[in-house]
Amino acid sequence: MEQPLFRHNKPGRSVTFDEYRAEGGFVALAKAMQGLSPDQVQQAVIDSGMRGRGGAGFPTGKKWSFVPRNLPGPRWLICNCDEMEPGTYKDRVLLEANPYSLLEGMVLACYAIGVRHAFIFIRRGYEQAAANLRRGVAECLQAGLLGENILGSSFSCDIDVHVSAGRYICGEETALMNALEGKRANPRSKPPFPAVKGLWGGPTVVNNAESLANVPGIIANGPEWFKGLARTPEAAGMKLFCISGHVAKTGCFELPLGMPLGEIIEGPCGGMRPGSRFKACLPGGASTPFFTEEHLHIPMDFDPVAKAGSRLGTGGIVVFDQDTCMVAATLNLTRFYARESCGWCTPCREGLPYVNHVLETIEAGKGSEEHITILREHVKLLNNAFCALAPGAMGPVDGLLRHFMDELREHIVKGRCPCKKDLCQN
Amino acid sequence: MSLQKGFMPKLIIDNIAVEVAEGVTVLEAAQSVGIHIPHFCWHPALGKAGACRVCAVKMVDGPVKGIQMSCMLPAQDGMVVSTTDQEAMAMRRQVIEWLMINHPHDCPVCDEGGECQLQDYTIAGGHGLRSYTGKKRTHINQYLGPHIEHEMNRCIQCYRCVRFYQEFAGGTDFGVMGSAGRIYYGRVEGGQLESPFSGNLVDICPTGVFTDKTARFRARYWDYDMAPSVCPHCSLGCNTVPAARYRELLKIVARRNDAVNGWFICDKGRFTNSVVNDPARPRYPLVDGRKVGWDEALDNLLLRIREFGAVHGPESLAIVGSSRLAMEAATLLYRLFAGIAAGSLCYFTLEEEADQARAAITHLNDATSASMGDVQEADLIALVDCDLLQDGPMMALAVRQAWRKGAKIFLVENDVAPEAQKGLPFEWQSVSLLSDIPIREARKPVIICGRGKGMQDVAPALTSGVKLAYLLGGPNAFGAALLSAGHGATTLAQAVASGKVKGILAVEVDIPPELLQGISFIAALDWRATAIVKAAHIVLPTTAWVEMDGTYINNEGRAQRFKKVMHPGLPIMGLDPAGHPPRRHETAPPGGEPRPAWQVVADIIERTGTERDVQPLSGQWQWLRHLDAESPGQRIWQNMKQVK
Repeated sequence: MEQPLFRHNKPGRSVTFDEYRAEGGFVALAKAMQGLSPDQVQQAVIDSGMRGRGGAGFPTGKKWSFVPRNLPGPRWLICNCDEMEPGTYKDRVLLEANPYSLLEGMVLACYAIGVRHAFIFIRRGYEQAAANLRRGVAECLQAGLLGENILGSSFSCDIDVHVSAGRYICGEETALMNALEGKRANPRSKPPFPAVKGLWGGPTVVNNAESLANVPGIIANGPEWFKGLARTPEAAGMKLFCISGHVAKTGCFELPLGMPLGEIIEGPCGGMRPGSRFKACLPGGASTPFFTEEHLHIPMDFDPVAKAGSRLGTGGIVVFDQDTCMVAATLNLTRFYARESCGWCTPCREGLPYVNHVLETIEAGKGSEEHITILREHVKLLNNAFCALAPGAMGPVDGLLRHFMDELREHIVKGRCPCKKDLCQN
Repeated sequence: MSLQKGFMPKLIIDNIAVEVAEGVTVLEAAQSVGIHIPHFCWHPALGKAGACRVCAVKMVDGPVKGIQMSCMLPAQDGMVVSTTDQEAMAMRRQVIEWLMINHPHDCPVCDEGGECQLQDYTIAGGHGLRSYTGKKRTHINQYLGPHIEHEMNRCIQCYRCVRFYQEFAGGTDFGVMGSAGRIYYGRVEGGQLESPFSGNLVDICPTGVFTDKTARFRARYWDYDMAPSVCPHCSLGCNTVPAARYRELLKIVARRNDAVNGWFICDKGRFTNSVVNDPARPRYPLVDGRKVGWDEALDNLLLRIREFGAVHGPESLAIVGSSRLAMEAATLLYRLFAGIAAGSLCYFTLEEEADQARAAITHLNDATSASMGDVQEADLIALVDCDLLQDGPMMALAVRQAWRKGAKIFLVENDVAPEAQKGLPFEWQSVSLLSDIPIREARKPVIICGRGKGMQDVAPALTSGVKLAYLLGGPNAFGAALLSAGHGATTLAQAVASGKVKGILAVEVDIPPELLQGISFIAALDWRATAIVKAAHIVLPTTAWVEMDGTYINNEGRAQRFKKVMHPGLPIMGLDPAGHPPRRHETAPPGGEPRPAWQVVADIIERTGTERDVQPLSGQWQWLRHLDAESPGQRIWQNMKQVK
């Protein structure tokens, strides 16, 4: 199984610049600088069928193509590395092991879009990853792979590493741009879309770190190779899945897109922990509706997961066993989102604490049928929020209502949480 | 969407066909046909924010479908909108419920109660009982100065205040802090708000976070005496609504006039109630300090004038008006002057103010006069010899709006004192001469001249298409200059310098003490306790602008009518236990003797015997009688072919 991102990884340390280069790194960049036009680079990424790895799954090449070619003034590329989705840590693992794929991919993306200056917006907690990136930028500048006249070509490009102040909302691309401009990290209204009017009013592309890190492989080996990496014909490429929860072996694995959920758990994760039975999982990070046993056969790719009523999201799989109270698990997630709301719009700012309150009431055994109605209403009405945070936050609640209604009702009927082992305390 | 010029999207809202200009939002399109869609964060002057989500409508058909925020959505051809759709109503109802989760149920003791948008929508949406049983979020309030009360617990986070304060008005000491459910609007530390426009927070807040301290706990909205009025504190003539109760002026709020002040007013215009409520105001006619009735006072005045005339000659008497005197009285002054054959008629005291006003009436006409609305639309603005924040703060706000849209602002350095450059809410480029400014390259240039001698330099810069704005001395300086020029009046300074003035009949005018040396007789009509009122032998109390109907002509030549808000009289400040029950029985309110200045002047004229039944605003000024106080006002050139 080829691992375009993890193939450079060294156990227990980061790959060095020389090692990365010796193992075929920067070949794609050299190829592009010597013989490919920006349009050809862009076309290759479009043809590869790669969909954005940040959660929404929008085709990366298509996003690039939205940047108007003829607008005057600077245009920008931002690598979104503000990875804050609970259960997701793929970018950290990737960058702590190897910052160079991302840097190479960013230079290629800048070349394709015509960007002179790019930014990496990285989460505050990712100190090692940020240090790796800063070191990588310095090394690339030294080696002529970044900065003026890259590899002797007429193309020049710079990359800045910006450490975020650290809020979940900074991962929303327009809030990210506000944060980068030094403003409050509130999302902006769309339209205008960033591709037309983004950072400082210029056309801007915001891509996830994993997406950009995959670009060198696509350019070096061709779009067909990339497509062929996936398990199913509809999917394209490998994906970093990070699995946490009650499995035997948690971790971040580079696996082909389209691999069934059950196979991921049984294979790389070595099955469930001893004594644990699979009850449910978040298939793609904290904002995705739960999957249950009936979904174990679903190929982990964007469309099949969506068809099954959830989202592939970031590929952060959180597995729960039979002893997990799904109400408590959902509450844990909505608490995170209520805290991370930027406070701009009413549904998110006021609605999420309300949902918390309702879930707390049910979990405490004081719920009523009316509370279920309130949850249902909120799943529906929070879709009318300003950005995607609140609808995302309601993903687990939606899953709870669809798959665990019996458990929810049991809380209400019994007047206590049925999953608590120590019933005397309840 | 068509790119054709003048393309007008046609849409259907609640079965009503609507055609609007391109770029107009669905919310505004609905308003244009009388359909009110609830909104908190959207404001006509601040535009959209998309924060409150209460303007939800259902898009039934057309290019967009489903629940949409009508404030964010530009009207497009073929849209079919329902504001009464069940789904849209459910969303709006839920938004109100969310907002009411943390909003205190303190309406009975909240000053906003009765004029609160949140209260209105909560009732309109039918949200009566809440299902949330948790604790409410609370905040600690800040001291924001003597004028504005802060009550953050009532906040519904619509972001209007911060959008006004920072974006619209350029303030930097007030903002939004925190995130999620801990959003807080305030200062880093408590303290007086620095912006000269801070009072607009009171108007713009849709609920009771910011309330006017001067009116706190004094009255409900329906208790107020209110009428359309015009601010008398500078020459710009901003439109206001003063609110009074029990003969006390409680507060002043802004009244929309797009050509003049837009939606806002400055703090100087808002927070100066005290001059009207001042206990030291002249309340009774006085003769040599003795309270007398009106008849006695007027008879005495005529007698004194005759005696004065016999000693010094009638030509030694000066009749002095001012730029704060409304047109009604100002136009009568000449008739009084003729009636008693006085020696001097003055509409201005000092030369400088008269010069500036004279320049304004000379250079301005309907084409060249820049309203504040024009200033906002300018692409180049030159500031000549002006202290905007002192002499016309709202003009500074208008310049800021132009600057925000990309206008270039130039400041003629030599003419603007350094202290007058402080705190201007826009960026500018300094030049040493007016001729250094590329006025000819601009499409819509405006020159703003302040008080003083910068004026003479302006004339050479005037080419076609250049508009001019002047900051004058008082609310009716323009009108006073017209009358002064028409009657060939001099300034009091000139008249005194000629040595012939021995007596002064001062009609709502402030006169510096150096001009009063050698004056043996003073009669003063005024509503303010000025130095000259204190020095006067005869005092005739007049009404403040809020106590009468009247007309001012503002700095751009716009005549605006203001209406009587309240009866003059001593404010009822509560019962004095020592004086209860009252032992005096009166049929008129105590302290209610003041009369409009024009009426007093008319009385004097009638007593001279030259005229009977004297009415204000006759002859060429008659058109002012028909001015509607709720209209945007009328520029004089539209009504007077030749102004004399």
